[in-house]
Amino acid sequence: MEPDEQDERATTGTPPAVHLDGITKRFPGVIANDDVDLEVERGTIHALVGENGAGKTTLMNVLYGLYEPTEGTVRIDGEPQTFDDPGDAMDVGIGMIHQHFMLVDTMTVAENVVLGDEPTKWGGIVTDRERANRETQALADRYGLEVEPTELIEEISVGEQQRVEILKTLYRGADILILDEPTAVLTPQEVQSLFGILRELIAEGKTIIFITHKLGEALEVADEISVLRKGKLVGTVDAETATREELARMMVGRDVLLEVDKPAASRGDLVLDVEAVTIEDDRGVVAADSVSFGVHQGEVFGIAGVDGNGQSELIEAITGLRKPTDGTITFDGRDITTDSRRSRVSAGMAYVAEDRQKRSLVMEYELQRNGLLGRQHLRPFSDGRLIDWGATGEYVDDIIEEYDVRPADPTAKAHSFSGGNQQKFIVGREFERDPSLVIASQPTRGVDIGSIEFIHNRLLELRSDGKAVLLVSSKLDEVTQLSDRLGVMHDGEIIAVVDPDEVTEEELGLLMAGERPDNLDVDGARVRRSSV
Amino acid sequence: MSDDDSGEGLRAQGLAALDRLVDATAAERIAISLASLGFAIIVGTVLVFVSGFVAECRDPFIYLPGLGFGCYNPLEVYWTMFIGSFGSMTDIGQTLLQTTLLLFTGLSVAVAFRAGLFNIGTQGQMVLGALATALVVLELAAYVPDNAAGMLIVIPVGVVVGGIVGGFWGMIPGLMKAYANAHEVITTIMLNFVAIGIAFWLVQVHVGDLTTDSVQTESVPAVARLPATISGSRFSVIALIGALLVAVGIYLLYKRTVIGYDLRTSGIQESAAEYGGVNAKRNIVTSMTLSGVLGGIAGAIYVMMVQYRWQAGIPPLGFDGIAVSILAGNNPIGVIPAALLFGSLKTGSVAVDLSLGVPGELVEVLRGLIILFIAMPEFFRMIGKRFGYGNGSVVTDGGEA
Repeated sequence: MEPDEQDERATTGTPPAVHLDGITKRFPGVIANDDVDLEVERGTIHALVGENGAGKTTLMNVLYGLYEPTEGTVRIDGEPQTFDDPGDAMDVGIGMIHQHFMLVDTMTVAENVVLGDEPTKWGGIVTDRERANRETQALADRYGLEVEPTELIEEISVGEQQRVEILKTLYRGADILILDEPTAVLTPQEVQSLFGILRELIAEGKTIIFITHKLGEALEVADEISVLRKGKLVGTVDAETATREELARMMVGRDVLLEVDKPAASRGDLVLDVEAVTIEDDRGVVAADSVSFGVHQGEVFGIAGVDGNGQSELIEAITGLRKPTDGTITFDGRDITTDSRRSRVSAGMAYVAEDRQKRSLVMEYELQRNGLLGRQHLRPFSDGRLIDWGATGEYVDDIIEEYDVRPADPTAKAHSFSGGNQQKFIVGREFERDPSLVIASQPTRGVDIGSIEFIHNRLLELRSDGKAVLLVSSKLDEVTQLSDRLGVMHDGEIIAVVDPDEVTEEELGLLMAGERPDNLDVDGARVRRSSV
Repeated sequence: MSDDDSGEGLRAQGLAALDRLVDATAAERIAISLASLGFAIIVGTVLVFVSGFVAECRDPFIYLPGLGFGCYNPLEVYWTMFIGSFGSMTDIGQTLLQTTLLLFTGLSVAVAFRAGLFNIGTQGQMVLGALATALVVLELAAYVPDNAAGMLIVIPVGVVVGGIVGGFWGMIPGLMKAYANAHEVITTIMLNFVAIGIAFWLVQVHVGDLTTDSVQTESVPAVARLPATISGSRFSVIALIGALLVAVGIYLLYKRTVIGYDLRTSGIQESAAEYGGVNAKRNIVTSMTLSGVLGGIAGAIYVMMVQYRWQAGIPPLGFDGIAVSILAGNNPIGVIPAALLFGSLKTGSVAVDLSLGVPGELVEVLRGLIILFIAMPEFFRMIGKRFGYGNGSVVTDGGEA
């Protein structure tokens, strides 16, 4: 708890803060965790890595009291514990920060932090807001979490919302914090600031378990890394000495190509031409301001940028989900600026949307029905009136097989699949319909490493087949590795189009922050753009 | 400790049972419903039997030492209920009459529910549809011959008018949902009051039969009455056939057609529908309108088959439709047996009320028990599905299986 107490423990060889002893968790037909042993020392960051479905979340749900283990014991500071529910786990100081935030949008930061445990006044009738604000601020200052207690959740960024989640857990007295894929929704800058917070927390004597499948992050921030594969613990390694290749092999069970092997581009005709397009967001504020660029056959055009700089609106305008206020969009030589979404799909525009659970999948539908989404009006899936379930079923079976969607059950509903498998299905559905333009927005967000490799290879295959690919990603390594040309978006403008092989990550970072580095010939980039 | 263990065990068993219930096959579900009916009758039997000792009556059915006289024979009650709904052709006619009306209102609710929308407004749509039908057929009857040919004009027109007005009344909450984000449960409930108020005022002040004190229109002439199929009952098999065709049509709409797919996707997940190239807002309005059309047709049938006029205090068939739809798991085909069950219970309980000394309230309880017992498993299935049970899936970690 307190630093000196911790020292005392270390010297007297006290038990680890968390000791999962032979944990097995069985579900009907599935062994999610198989005899897992895990020890986490107090005051350390322990990363738990593994592909989607490896059993990371199940293991943490056991520790967090959501599941009872079928076999095995959970020991906290050496004491065996049984938790009936997360409340029990909270009582011994275990708090979990979920991947999907559990915040009330219309309440303030401080109100969310104290929710359920509010300081009151007037004999317990009224929430003491001032005290809530004060206590939130004090807690935030102590751990270096920057938040404004009086702001509404709906008005703050995702990174800030995550800080509120952490504060919420700390406010309830958590000593051991479990973070489930905390970086999946963050930009590179926000990830760095999160890591700063985590280091601050262990300096204060907290213990952190960090679930991730991003190896780079695990190596960067953790003290120790445990790898799970198919429910079993493959091993625990020291982050100081481990390498990405070693971890990837442990995780996937085979060698994984971490660098993309990209053949030379053979650029063809202009497929998508975006000319001086201006778009407003939902609030009527200009989100993209006179943006121009083009995508050719056989090339990947990447768009990099910190989330919220107009990329989403730009993609929605191109795909027909949002009307631009100005400018023209030409697709295969035809002006489609005012065309409906349906006619753009019919014309051969494939789209992997940024938010798969909101846009690309109907979560309550089986895969079978989801396979139809977007092409329900087209042959061979229907004659425009009646659906041909036979043809749809064959198509879905093919996707499941070729894209290795697991479990391979076309009658299972979308929400019962892991994020990686959902994404593989969407990618398959969109790529396999012979599109002439593929728009992929954050195609590997929240997807495990094996699937990332697969999706990247499919994108490059499309490029080799002469398709035009527009790739939007906030992952720098992804856009730089895959793109032939890279536009950097900042504050609604593409401020430079660069050759990804010629810029450093640092220069890109500066561009994303809206600064033009001195040594980079940005005008040159512009010239390259105008030669399109 | 041991207490905790058994508690945990029970909870786990309960959740496993829920899993199985959600995944139950159609045959299993029918078996569950029949078993539920049996349990409901057993519980009802005990209830009726025990109540008999509290009540007073002239000729008791049984004497038990220490307890006194028991008035009601449970077997007789249930028998009368059964005979009252199926015992004679007239009774069957009355049962089918109720069934027909409940089919339309049940389908009205189910059609919206399938599309992810909860229309509580069927009652209001029915009341206004009924009034429109009554007024139009009263006018129209003067211009057509008083024979079968006249009927062929008046009755279809009556149905269409009822459907249009009901559809209009359903379209309003649809528009409010699609373009103003107003939740349809709230708006449809409120519009029920508005509909009933408007209809009452119109009839009382403007268009009603001013020669009586009752708030009602004039009686519609014979050309506007659906021909009775069974003597002693106003039931018309034409209406029943129409209702059955609508049930099959809605089933096919959602099962096979692109329009059905678009309607459902729009209601369930608007932004995914837009992604799929569908005008989601327009489809939400369409679903609610379609639901309203069926509510309005229920009203038209009510006027032309049952009441032969619009009269204040139309029975709550629209609300019963919600129960029918839920009982059917919102499956248009399932609405058929659900409506039949409700219809026979309605008719049967009238018979018990009239021919035995059992108070109407107790009969209502027996009816409620049957509905409750049969609806509960379906209700738990819906809840279980909502929270992700069933489908053989591991809820949080569906990766490897």
